[in-house]
Amino acid sequence: MTMVASGATARSSLALRIRSLWRRAPLSLKIGATLLVLHFVIALTGPFWAPYGASEIRTGPPLSGASLAHPFGIDQLGRDVFSRVIHGSHIVILLSLSSTFIGLIIGAMVGLLSGYIRGWFDEILQRLLEAVISIPFLVLALIAIVAAGPTLAGNPILLVFVIAFIYAPRIARMARAAALDIVTRDFVTVARLRGESAWSIVRRELLPNATSVLLVEFALRAGYAPVLIGSLGFLGFGMRPPTPEWGLMMSENRALITFSPMTVLGPGLMLASLVVGLNLFTEGLARILGRTVKLADQ
Amino acid sequence: MNVARLVIWRILLSLITLLLVSAAIFAIIEVLPGDVASRMLGRDATPQALAVFREKMHLDQPALVRYFNWLSGMMRGDLGNALTSSRPIADILAPRIFNTVLLSLYAFIIYIPLALVPALIQAANRDRKVDHAVSVINLLFLSIPDYLLGTLLLVTFGVALPLLPAISRVDETSSAIQYLRAMTLPALTLAIAMAIAAVRMLRDNLIEVLDSEYVRMAELKGLPPRAVLLRHALPNALVPTLNVTAINLGYLIGGVVIVEKVFSYPGFGGLLVDSLQLRDVPLIEATVLIASTVYIGANLLADLGAILLNPRLRTS
Repeated sequence: MTMVASGATARSSLALRIRSLWRRAPLSLKIGATLLVLHFVIALTGPFWAPYGASEIRTGPPLSGASLAHPFGIDQLGRDVFSRVIHGSHIVILLSLSSTFIGLIIGAMVGLLSGYIRGWFDEILQRLLEAVISIPFLVLALIAIVAAGPTLAGNPILLVFVIAFIYAPRIARMARAAALDIVTRDFVTVARLRGESAWSIVRRELLPNATSVLLVEFALRAGYAPVLIGSLGFLGFGMRPPTPEWGLMMSENRALITFSPMTVLGPGLMLASLVVGLNLFTEGLARILGRTVKLADQ
Repeated sequence: MNVARLVIWRILLSLITLLLVSAAIFAIIEVLPGDVASRMLGRDATPQALAVFREKMHLDQPALVRYFNWLSGMMRGDLGNALTSSRPIADILAPRIFNTVLLSLYAFIIYIPLALVPALIQAANRDRKVDHAVSVINLLFLSIPDYLLGTLLLVTFGVALPLLPAISRVDETSSAIQYLRAMTLPALTLAIAMAIAAVRMLRDNLIEVLDSEYVRMAELKGLPPRAVLLRHALPNALVPTLNVTAINLGYLIGGVVIVEKVFSYPGFGGLLVDSLQLRDVPLIEATVLIASTVYIGANLLADLGAILLNPRLRTS
């Protein structure tokens, strides 16, 4: 009996804590989180309730415009655009989050290590990262995809690694700046005097103290990833047809925009609302963690 | 004395970066594991196509030799010939660069008022409803990808209200008016995208300056708020905004790739996409190197501007 009771109170106190955290959260975080939850729910459950399949043809008269049965209209192949947008949701979210996450892991490790070791290693690495950052990111993504060759083109794993490759140097630069600040603290000196290895200091002393920087950095980059994936799809270097990726769909339906504008605006609205959610969430998160965030500086 | 050393050091660093960038571009395209020819042309390429590609790219030579030949050619201004058309790359690039420079200048002219006006409104009404409202609108616009923005403008002003051409084709026979009409929608798209990125930083800079002592002094002298904002705060807020402008130039290079494609404008960005689709390796390498050089140059200018305009850096 007592165990059940204490379990119940623990649970209710957790709920209370979450509720009080939520009440104190900035408005931008609340709206952002709501939008994100909505998007995640659509991504997870969408395939089960979308009216048609992603590649299902003859769903209605082609080019008939938007109607109640087809809120985003029908594309040239007779596919229901709304269903395609819903089916594409988890693809866009999965690609964005996984690529940003890989970029964060690599960037954080390289940046923290470089900021801790300093010296010539750091100097050379900084020049190399600077060079990669100096190639405009969309251009860098495009040449990396073309260099991988037509055999790999349209492969989601290639896309994930290309975006991680673009993000990693930028994240590494932020992580290094954070590391330079943390290494001056006493607990790092103590750890070094204890004889711990550089790797162990990075992992056990620097990483936990750089979490807030890295968290904001992750959210910021994740907010831009859907746009980047869409840009690549739009230019014909991202996902391949018939994948229901939003940027690709917008480019496929561009010819229809005069008589059925929703076929382009539908995927565009989904993409924009996901990015708005991620950006608002990032701003709120940054405010909680006491950091300034430059959303435009992506 | 110190400034001169700082400036020279900064220029030297940029040159080193540029050299590394050239190596990075070459490495990404030509030195990745696997045979370059079959990787670039795909599995279905005929043996003849592969042989022609190998011969034209001098793939019998080691990568390091090819890199130095390429680099020395670039430095002499000899960009080589395109793979697909065999025309000199310089001849292909020149009109495209001209078009894009023209487009960028047009975009920058529209961008300045688009960024300044909202930032001034926000700074003058700081923490009031207007300020918050502009922030929210700014964030919403920030979340609209530029290909959607371009398409929306295209549909509104090119199709629904056919004021401007929907397809921005121009060539050497086009008149100035035709050029101007063709460039308006792409330039507007670029300008809006750049302004959205700059407004926020400009607002923060303006507010920081408004809090400074010399602005308080100007207020205490009894100057009207408008004069304080425009004559005392704005010029001082423009210095940190140089950095934003450099970031924007970096954006512009990626932005023209998308925007020129949306409006079929025959510029540098469109050429890059075409050369990538054709897998024209020498043309890709030349365009990417030029794009990166412009980006590095813009950052260098912004840094030099900040060094020369900041009295504290000058004396220290």
